[in-house]
Order: sequence, then structure tokens, then C-alpha cells
Amino acid sequence: MTLETAAFAGVAVVLLGSSLAVVLTPNLFHAVLWLAAALVATGGVFLLLDAPFLFGVQLLLYAGGVVTIVVFAIMLTERLVGQTLRSASRFLINGAVLSAAVFVGVAGFLVQAPAAGVRPALAGDLTVALGRALVGAFAVPLELLGVLLVIALLGALYFARSEP
Amino acid sequence: MPLGAYLVLAALVFAIGLFGVLTRRNAVGILLGIELMLNAVNINLVAFARFTGGLAGIVFTLFIIAITVAEVAVGLALVIVIFRVRRTVEADHLDLLRG
Amino acid sequence: MSVRVGSAALALLVLALPFASFLLLALVRPLRRSAVAAATVSITAMVAAVGSAFWLSWRSLPRALLQSPSTTWAWIPADGGPMATVGVMVDDKSMAMCMLVTFVSLMVQLYSWAYLHDEPRPSLGRYYAYHSLFAFSMLGLVLSPSFIQMFVFWELVGLCSYLLIGYWYDRPPAARAAVKAFWITKLGDLGFVAGIVMLWAAAGTFDFWELFRMANVGALPREGLALIMFLIYLGAVGKSAQFPLHIWLPDAMEGPTPVSALIHAATMVTAGVFLVTRAFPLFLLVPDVLTLIAWVGAFTALLAASMACVESDIKRVLAYSTVSQLGYMMAAAGAQAPGAGFNHLLTHGIFKALLFLGAGVVIHVFHTNDVFRMGGLRGQPLLWAPFVLATLALAGVPPLPGFFTKEAILGGVLEAHLTVPFVMLAVTAFLTAFYMFRVVFLAFFRGGLGDGHAHPHVPGLMSLVCWALTVLTIATGVAMARQVLTAGHHDGAPAWLPAFSLGLAGSGILLAWLTYQRQALDPARLSAALAPLDWAARRRYGIDAVFVGFYRFVLLAFSRLVGWLDRYIVDGVLNVVSACTLRAGDRLRRIQSGLAQDYLYGVALGVLVLFVLAQWRLR
Repeated sequence: MTLETAAFAGVAVVLLGSSLAVVLTPNLFHAVLWLAAALVATGGVFLLLDAPFLFGVQLLLYAGGVVTIVVFAIMLTERLVGQTLRSASRFLINGAVLSAAVFVGVAGFLVQAPAAGVRPALAGDLTVALGRALVGAFAVPLELLGVLLVIALLGALYFARSEP
Repeated sequence: MPLGAYLVLAALVFAIGLFGVLTRRNAVGILLGIELMLNAVNINLVAFARFTGGLAGIVFTLFIIAITVAEVAVGLALVIVIFRVRRTVEADHLDLLRG
Repeated sequence: MSVRVGSAALALLVLALPFASFLLLALVRPLRRSAVAAATVSITAMVAAVGSAFWLSWRSLPRALLQSPSTTWAWIPADGGPMATVGVMVDDKSMAMCMLVTFVSLMVQLYSWAYLHDEPRPSLGRYYAYHSLFAFSMLGLVLSPSFIQMFVFWELVGLCSYLLIGYWYDRPPAARAAVKAFWITKLGDLGFVAGIVMLWAAAGTFDFWELFRMANVGALPREGLALIMFLIYLGAVGKSAQFPLHIWLPDAMEGPTPVSALIHAATMVTAGVFLVTRAFPLFLLVPDVLTLIAWVGAFTALLAASMACVESDIKRVLAYSTVSQLGYMMAAAGAQAPGAGFNHLLTHGIFKALLFLGAGVVIHVFHTNDVFRMGGLRGQPLLWAPFVLATLALAGVPPLPGFFTKEAILGGVLEAHLTVPFVMLAVTAFLTAFYMFRVVFLAFFRGGLGDGHAHPHVPGLMSLVCWALTVLTIATGVAMARQVLTAGHHDGAPAWLPAFSLGLAGSGILLAWLTYQRQALDPARLSAALAPLDWAARRRYGIDAVFVGFYRFVLLAFSRLVGWLDRYIVDGVLNVVSACTLRAGDRLRRIQSGLAQDYLYGVALGVLVLFVLAQWRLR
């Protein structure tokens, strides 16, 4: 067993375990914490795929930003309602069956595809190429993304204002 | 590890996220499920980008992460407004579109 | 009668005059509401029509046998020549009928002016408008050159009958009688129109001349012809009150007496006989139908005569007498002596009209129709002479016309070897004399009613018309007598026939005299002697009840069934469909739960379906 295989196995186990925990924990706050773990594990997968920049972005934005936002939201809604949010689930069996079916469907396609075994060699530093692409070929989408973020900010502000 | 392993991993996480979206009662819980599904997609994209030697997959992933952050912010703002108005947490109670 | 043809233009004039009068009265309201103006217009038109009809006959020319007496114009277009034509057929029969119809119409219209003098003015105007319409319709009927035109006028005449019977439409019996007449004749007309259409389908034409030509050369298809002619005869059954569709005629007496004189004695009811006579070359091809016609005619005559013997309403007696005489005419046609029947039609028209108008006089004097409340007029010959003369004509006493025409019919029936019909007709002749003179003795000559009506006032116009008709009757009779004496006996009839018919008439008169005048025989004991017949005749043999029963239990039941089907099955199907749609919609709307997660289930299922489709494509 090579190092890479062992690393992949470990990261996979963490990811799957924390994902299951996210969807199965009754306590919502605990679910958020498990989500943080899952996001970090995803970052680990990115590392294994030779994308360290993405690993960094993932940690900063997802595990840092998103989790923080969600925790704030839970705190606010808890206070509004006045009790700890106990999130039970509905129709577990139906959901499980359907999700399993979707997985089987996707896996079916994967099984039929020819196996791509070997990774090609890395062509230079990915991060530098990424930077160049962002301001070169993907400059317009980048700017549009900025616009989108402004819109989101305005929308969130509008929603969060106090009632007149 | 072959490409197929990463893809199967992503598919599993996607199915788990779907399960969470379908079964969680709390609106915030549903959002968590959506996060998982998006993560799975990201894994998929990066895996393909690595194994076919292109850059587009990674750029796409970056954009998805950024958009997801914006989406979570707006979504949670919506949840808070709904809670202000309807005083309820559960998705089961938000059935104003009932036919 | 020589074979003659008249001018089409004159015939159209005869038609146009009463039609113009009707149009004028129908469209110009003030003209109609003023009875004087309406009567003037109508009577003037009638006078002109009479003149034209007589000039038409005077000016008629002999025609070659192969020349058509019709003048027609195209009406309903079709490929290869028009499907139906309109026009006039001016042969000897139509000319004779024109003269009869116009003359009697004129007499009746003049008489009505005096008889209905107390009517409100606008109603009287309406009355004259209807009279003009009737004259036009009847003339159109007799001048028709084709079945389809005759049918149109046939229905028009039926309409006029309805309008005139129901002239006093605010009286329920009159309204009911008008509807009854319409319905019963309509029953016959169903057969008539079916027969016409089937004949057209077989022969390809409606035109009489064409059909007669085809019949002569044997070009008419024979199979089904008996049925067709029987159906056409059904129309005559309805209109000419043959058994079993005779029930409308006695009730039609609810109309004013002049109307009864014109329509239900002289002209409209004879349309059926006219039809059979006109279409006789076609009937000749189906002798079985002719035999049926003869039997039904003779039976009708006897049936009606028996019912007349127990009637106390003078107009009803005359109505039954009309039915009886129509039976005679039909029997003659059935016995293949249509000429005899037609002659009887013409003469009967005159003296029957006179009988009704004379009855109108006595109704006017006593203000009742019941003969048992009349009497004591023996000392006023000016009042009873027209009626008695007409009665003698009807009973068949020479030298009045009834004798000659009745004898001709009896001879024709005997010649055709129809013995049972002959016996029935002979008994009818006896009964006719009996019941008519019963009426005469009861209504006019009965003493002891305190001749209080010493000098009843009869309007001069009524007397004038009655005397005019009386003179005409006598003149016709004399002319016929002279013709018989110069021509000698026509071969075929047995020598004992004239004496026999005279004997029948005489014995009937004698019996009536003994019973009602001399009081030598008690009428009650006569009734008792014939008790079962008497009982049945007084109840009109229950035939009315049969029709009423059929209407109530068959027709109405069928209507109710159809109504039920319509409500519960036809509507029911639609209601079920609509209810199912609503319920399905109700059930389907539960998909819209309003919950986003449920919709997500739908999305996921859709994705699965897409996977399946994609896998299937990959195969």
C-alpha cells in the first residue's frame, strides 16, 4: 500500500463519516461542526489532487466563512424561537431509497466508462497558471463574479434590515 | 488512485447530501445538505481537471466556491426574514404555495 | 265530360285574386280591423274569382290526349332538370272544382256578413282574411300539377281549417277542436308525405302528367307501389275523415256555421276524394288498394250514418252526414268509378253547403243547436223550404241531383262486384233518409212548442244566399235528369237500381215521418229494440277513447321515457365526465403540497428517469 493510497483512504473515511454525521445528527449545531470537518476533508482531497491553492481557498472560504455564517444563523434563529433547535428528520426511508437510487445511477455510468489509470505529468506550477488564467482567459467571468458578490451583499443587507 | 475512485467518492458524498436535503426538517439543515452536494461537485471537477490536464476545471471550482459563499449568505438572510415573519423553523410549516 | 284544357293565365288569375285579398288584409292592419273594409275586399276578390273561374271553363278548348294540361316553371333546382316545379294544371276536374270552390266561398262569405254581424269588428276582419287564405289554398290544391305542390297547399288548407275552427279561440272547446283537427289530419299527412317521397324515389318525378304517362307505358316500378299508394291514400283518410281518422270532423263543428258549410262540407274535406280521383291512373295499377278504399269508404258511410241517428245537435248530424257521404265518394273511387264519385262530390258540395246554411238560419232563430229545443215553424215555408229541399237532395229523391249521383255510385259499386260494400251503402242510404228527416221533423215541423216564434226575423242576406243555392240545386238536378233521359240508361247498371234507391229513400222518410211526426212509433222503443247498437252509437263506438288512450298511455309514456333517457343517460354521461374530472383534479392537487422538499423528490425522480433513458440510449 503506497502512501498515496493510504492517504486517500484516510481522507475518504473522514469525509464520508463526517458527511453522514452532518445529515444524521439531530442537533443542528453539532451538524455544522461536522460540516466543518467534511469541508476540511474535502480540502485534503484537493491536496491529493495536486491543487494546493484550492486547498487554501477551501479552508478560508468554506471551512472559515460559510461555517461561521451558518453558526451565526443558528444562533439568531435559536434566539428568535427561544429553544434549542432539535432537528428531527422526516421520511428517512424514502430519502434513503431515492439517494441510493441516484448513486446507483451515477455509479452505473462510471462503471461503463473506460478506466483512466495514470495521471499525466504535471505541467509546471498549477498556481501560477491559475493566476494567469484568471486575469487572462477568464477575466470577464472574474469581473462578473465580483458583480455577483456585490449583488449578494446588497440582497443580504436588504433582507437583514429592521422592519420600518 | 485511479480517477474512478475520486468519482465514486464524489458520488457518495453527493448522495449523502441529497439525503440530507430530502429529510432534514430545519431549513438551515437543508442548506447544510446543499453544501455537501456542492462539495461533491467540486471534487468531481478537480479530479477531471487533474486527469485530463486542463485548467478549466480548477477555475470552475474556484468560481463555484465563491458563488456558494454568496448563495449561503443570501439564503441565510432569507431564512432569518422568514423566521421573523412566520415565527417558525420547520420547512413543513412553510407551505404557502399549497395548491 | 269532354277532355278540355283551360288557359293557364286565367287559372293564375283565379289563384291570384284571393291571394291578393289575403295579402292586403294580412299586411294592412287598418284594413283588417275595419270589418266592413275587410269584407268588401274579400268578397270583391271572390266575385272576380267566380267570374274568372266561369270564364275559364267557358273558354276551355278541347285538347289532344297526349298534350299535357299543365303549365309549369322550375322550382327546386337539381342536376339534369329541376327536382320540383310549380304551376297550374287546368283540366276538366280542376276547372269544375274551381267553379265549385269560388262559388261556394262567395256564398258563404256573403252569408257570414249577416250571420256573424254581432262579432267584434277586428275579429270579423280576421275572419275574412282567413277566408281569403282558404280560398287561395283550396284553389291552389285543385290546380296543382304535381304531388309536391299539392302537398304544400294541402298543408295550407289544414292550417286554414285550424284557424277557422278555432276562430273563437277563447272558448276551450273550440281551441281543443281546432288542435284535434290539426293533429288527426297530420297523422294522415305523415303517410301522404312518406308516399310522395317514396314515389319520387321510384319514379324520379313529382309531376302528375309525367307519372300518368309512365303508368300508361308501364315504366313505373311495380314492387312497393301498393305500399306507396296506400300511404298516399292515408293522407286522404285524414283529410276526408275516413274511418278511423273521422273523429275530428264532428268536433270541428265548434267553428262558426258558415265555416262548417264551406270547409267541412263542400270543399276542404273533399280534398281527399279529389286526391284519389286525380291520382286515379296510379291507383289503377294497384287494384288491391282500390278495393280497400271501397271497403273503408262503405264502412265509414255506414258507421257515420248510425251515429247520426242518435245525435241531437243539428250541426253534428250534418257533420256525420258529411262523413257518410265522403265514404260514398271514396267507395265509388274504390269501385273504379271515379267519375261517379267526382260528380257526387260536386253536387254534394252544393246541397251540403245549403244544408249547413239553412241550419244556420234555424240556429240563429232559436239560439241553440239542439233539435229538441226547436220546432213550430210549419207555417213559414220561406224558412224551411231551402233546408227541406236540400234534405230531399241528400236523401236521393229525383229530380234532385243527389238521386242521380248516388245511383251512379251504387251502380258502380255493383258493377265492380263488391257486394258487401253495396249492402253497406244501401243500408246507409236508408239511414240517411231516416236521420235527415228526423232532423227536419224535429227542428221545423214539430208542433206544440207554442208557435211563439210567429215571425222570427231572419236577415235578408242569409235568406238570399239560401235561396240562391236552392235554385242552383234544382237547376243542377233538372239538368242531370234531362241528361239521363236523353242518354238513356248507361249500360252496366241493372234496371232495378233506380227503383231500388228510390225505395230506400222513401222507406227512410216514411219511418222518420211515422216516428217523429205522426208519433205512431215510439222512438224510445226503437232505441230499445236496437239497444246494443244504440248504446255504442251514442258513445261514438269508443273510437275517440282509443285515440285518447293511445295518446296518454303510449305517446306520453314514450315521451316520459325519452325525457328520462335525456336527463339520466345523455345528461348523465356528461355529468359523470364532469364529476370525474373534478374529482381527479381534486386528487391531483394534493401533489401541490407547498413544501419544497416534496418538489425536490420530484426533481430527483426526474433525474432518475433521465439516467434510465440515457442508459437505454447507450445500449
